[in-house]
Amino acid sequence: MVRASVAPVEVDEPIVDESVRTDRPWIVIVWNDPVNLMSYVVLVFQKLFGYSREKATRLMLQVHHEGRAVVSDGPREKCESDVARLHAHGLWATMETQSA
Amino acid sequence: MTARFHTRRDRGLEITLSPAEVELLRSLPEELRALYESPRGTDAAHARLFPPAYFDPVEREAEQEWQAAIHPELLRQRLEALDALTRTLDGVEERRGRMKVILTAEQVDAWLAVLNDARLTLGVRLNITEDFEPVALDPANEEAAAYAAYAWLTYLEDEMVQALIGETF
Repeated sequence: MVRASVAPVEVDEPIVDESVRTDRPWIVIVWNDPVNLMSYVVLVFQKLFGYSREKATRLMLQVHHEGRAVVSDGPREKCESDVARLHAHGLWATMETQSA
Repeated sequence: MTARFHTRRDRGLEITLSPAEVELLRSLPEELRALYESPRGTDAAHARLFPPAYFDPVEREAEQEWQAAIHPELLRQRLEALDALTRTLDGVEERRGRMKVILTAEQVDAWLAVLNDARLTLGVRLNITEDFEPVALDPANEEAAAYAAYAWLTYLEDEMVQALIGETF
């Protein structure tokens, strides 16, 4: 992801999202890409998942720095729907099982 | 890059643009419509806008079912956003070289969808990387206009998003 301007972004903590549960079979991953704006990705995470600004920003930065982040999880049907909504907003998202 | 923004109480936006900027926006729906409706597998930009859902190729059958169920809806939403953008630009009048567009929250969403798809498409066509800097290219470069459009669309989208969320990234 990219910034439209060159303002520095401070990151001081490793990003660990403990609220994403690991005991469910499917996870939705958002992958880094060179076009989507950091600001836009935060907006989409908040809008689609109802995440707080802080959580949406944390996930966006994780995608940016680590190349991918788990943004939601749950049964197959829910994840299929989440992926569709992310695709509708131009984010590069896939789903996989926990063990994949 | 002269667009000006005002947030409205209804989460809408008021955007002041130049006639050339409005012209660029008006040109987007036709190009994007052709891309959206192009057959799968023939265009890398189409593949970027309609990517697979399943990471693991083993899920080929689930992927096909998902595509069959979801693709028509994703296509419909995108076409609707194009129409919405066109409608907001219809009847916008020039006054002293400026054109003011007033968008409801729903129309803002449609604009963002179109701007983002246009940028994703140009990103594929121009092989944009994360290091892209909006520098002026030699006008003789045949891709100069596309780069300039990409840079301006990036500026416009970012300004719109930041006007909505009230924060700089």
